[in-house]
Amino acid sequence: MLSIKDLHARVEETTILKGLNLEIKPGEVHAIMGPNGAGKSTLGYVLSGRDGYEVESGSVEMDGKDLLDMEVEERAQAGLFLAFQYPVEIPGVSNMEFMKESVNALREARGEKALSSAEFLKKAKEACKQVELPLDFLKRGVNEGFSGGEKKRNEIMQLIMLEPKIAILDESDSGLDVDALQVVAKGVNSQRDGKRSFIVVTHYQRLLDYIQPDYVHILSKGKIVKSGGPELAKEVEASGYAWLAEAEAEGADA
Amino acid sequence: MSQWLNHVLERASTVDDWLSPVRAQALDTLKQQQWPTRRTEAWRYTSLHPVADLQLQTGTSNNTAEAPFIEGLNSLDLVFVDGQLSTDISKLQLPEGVTISELSAPSEPAEALFAQVKPSHHLFGLVNDVLAQQGVVIDIAAGAKVKQPIRIVNFASAGIESHQRTLVRVGANAQATIIEHGSGSGNSLNTAFAEYDIAEKASLEHYRFALHEGESIHIGGSHFKLHDHAKMNSTLIGYGSQLTRLDVDIEHAGEHAFAKFNNVYLLAPREHFDLHSTIEHASPNGTTEENARGIIGDRAKAVFNGRIHIHRHAQKTLAELNNRNLLLTRGAQINTKPELEIYADDVQCAHGATVAEIDEEALYYMLTRGIDKQQALVMLNFGFVQEMVFQMPNKALADWLQPILKTRFESMMEQQ
Repeated sequence: MLSIKDLHARVEETTILKGLNLEIKPGEVHAIMGPNGAGKSTLGYVLSGRDGYEVESGSVEMDGKDLLDMEVEERAQAGLFLAFQYPVEIPGVSNMEFMKESVNALREARGEKALSSAEFLKKAKEACKQVELPLDFLKRGVNEGFSGGEKKRNEIMQLIMLEPKIAILDESDSGLDVDALQVVAKGVNSQRDGKRSFIVVTHYQRLLDYIQPDYVHILSKGKIVKSGGPELAKEVEASGYAWLAEAEAEGADA
Repeated sequence: MSQWLNHVLERASTVDDWLSPVRAQALDTLKQQQWPTRRTEAWRYTSLHPVADLQLQTGTSNNTAEAPFIEGLNSLDLVFVDGQLSTDISKLQLPEGVTISELSAPSEPAEALFAQVKPSHHLFGLVNDVLAQQGVVIDIAAGAKVKQPIRIVNFASAGIESHQRTLVRVGANAQATIIEHGSGSGNSLNTAFAEYDIAEKASLEHYRFALHEGESIHIGGSHFKLHDHAKMNSTLIGYGSQLTRLDVDIEHAGEHAFAKFNNVYLLAPREHFDLHSTIEHASPNGTTEENARGIIGDRAKAVFNGRIHIHRHAQKTLAELNNRNLLLTRGAQINTKPELEIYADDVQCAHGATVAEIDEEALYYMLTRGIDKQQALVMLNFGFVQEMVFQMPNKALADWLQPILKTRFESMMEQQ
């Protein structure tokens, strides 16, 4: 599904990702944890193709195709979805027209017919319900005046609508209380169908209590330094990230 | 001097009704006015060349027109065609608390309002004082909560010069919605001025649509006087034509008044639109929020002059004015000029004018959702003005206007 090999990327003059490797098979959920500044958000931006995030070397293939050679919108059309840590407000564009344009752009890319207004509305209403957003929110500007929790739920609502092959959730838990966290997790879990893959980026173990990962990776200084099963997240919860510095010091000694 | 203005002065004496004494006074003032040139500050960026020697048919025309249908609006329509009122007011079913009379019929509100709210120095306002024979006087009784919107439709047909006047009094504690719906095409000149007197604790929802296009010339204004605790919420939509010039004046005569004024102009290639807004804070504790947004097509020219004047006694005034413009090509032009005059020391005032650029973060967000770049730009650019449409309190009007503006915008993009 997604194959990242020896990825190096920088923002301006600073190299952030320094040889990242990751293999994700269909249906797998990979959690990426790490301290602040490890490069967690950068990974999402690089994979989605954000301007200013320059790939120095390495490769990323999605379904055997060179992801890095695609434009931002082509990556989305190929089935990549990024749930933003800080979703953007677009006051003059309504959620409704935004989602309709988006859903139909992806359908067209897949060779499917555009949804009619009625079909779209039905689907949108169901998705709203799933993440417990009121319907009138569809008429409001994209993320305009939403609380932090509403913005995060809106990202999950988009995930549900867009049916990607792989979704990257960039700290979808940050700033959420337990109730909102459960809503977000429930929305995500409803989309786990054995084929769709997820990269769950998080600082804390908390989210992983609700979204059970198959693998947990620890990212530090632009590299994955440790991989394991769900138990690795519990270790982090117990001991924090301080051990990373010690491990690195040992590594330097050796 | 202008041939056209000379002709106006000659025609003035032919008007004879109960307003004649007031008109005579306006005529005297008009005679002392200079024909504006580009050196006249109020006309610095708008040339009156197209008007100077204009010769069009004046007087009555035989044209008829239907008011544009707006689904769900259910408005009470007063239709003017080329300055002539074609609606029979006596046959209208008026909502409770509403009195409507013709300008030519003497009435107490007409006398109290005529040229009382409108600034007396506006050249075309004076022309309108002198020449407008037809108009309506709308009186909303104190305490009346009028749900049904009242719409004044003002058509200007090709080849005709016309002048129309609207006077509105919203009584104490009353509520009303008034729509000035103007359009014109072909070589025409139309002036339309409206005066609103908004009494204590009254509330006015107001719209002015200046949907004039092509060769038409439209010059007019809406003037508001707010008394203690009065409220207004106004939205102005302009297209721009050969020449469209609007003056909006909001006077905080009473304390604790509130004014929200949004405006949008969407100029197709080569069109001209000029909006002068003047906010007078003459009393303490007033609030004004003004937002002007424009999208300007190729070789079109927009002028925005936003003046806020806070008088010495107008302490605790809160005034915000923001003008944002989007130029679609290098040939598009905006002349935006904020003017602030503050004589009180305890006020909050913000004033800004920008030529907007695309919000890169919003664009990236849209692209990550698979929307093509070209389409994303259309949505973002249009979103910039659509935001103002979303804010219109009347949903029927917003639902009607949104697709019209969108179609106009899309054709502007195609013409680039």
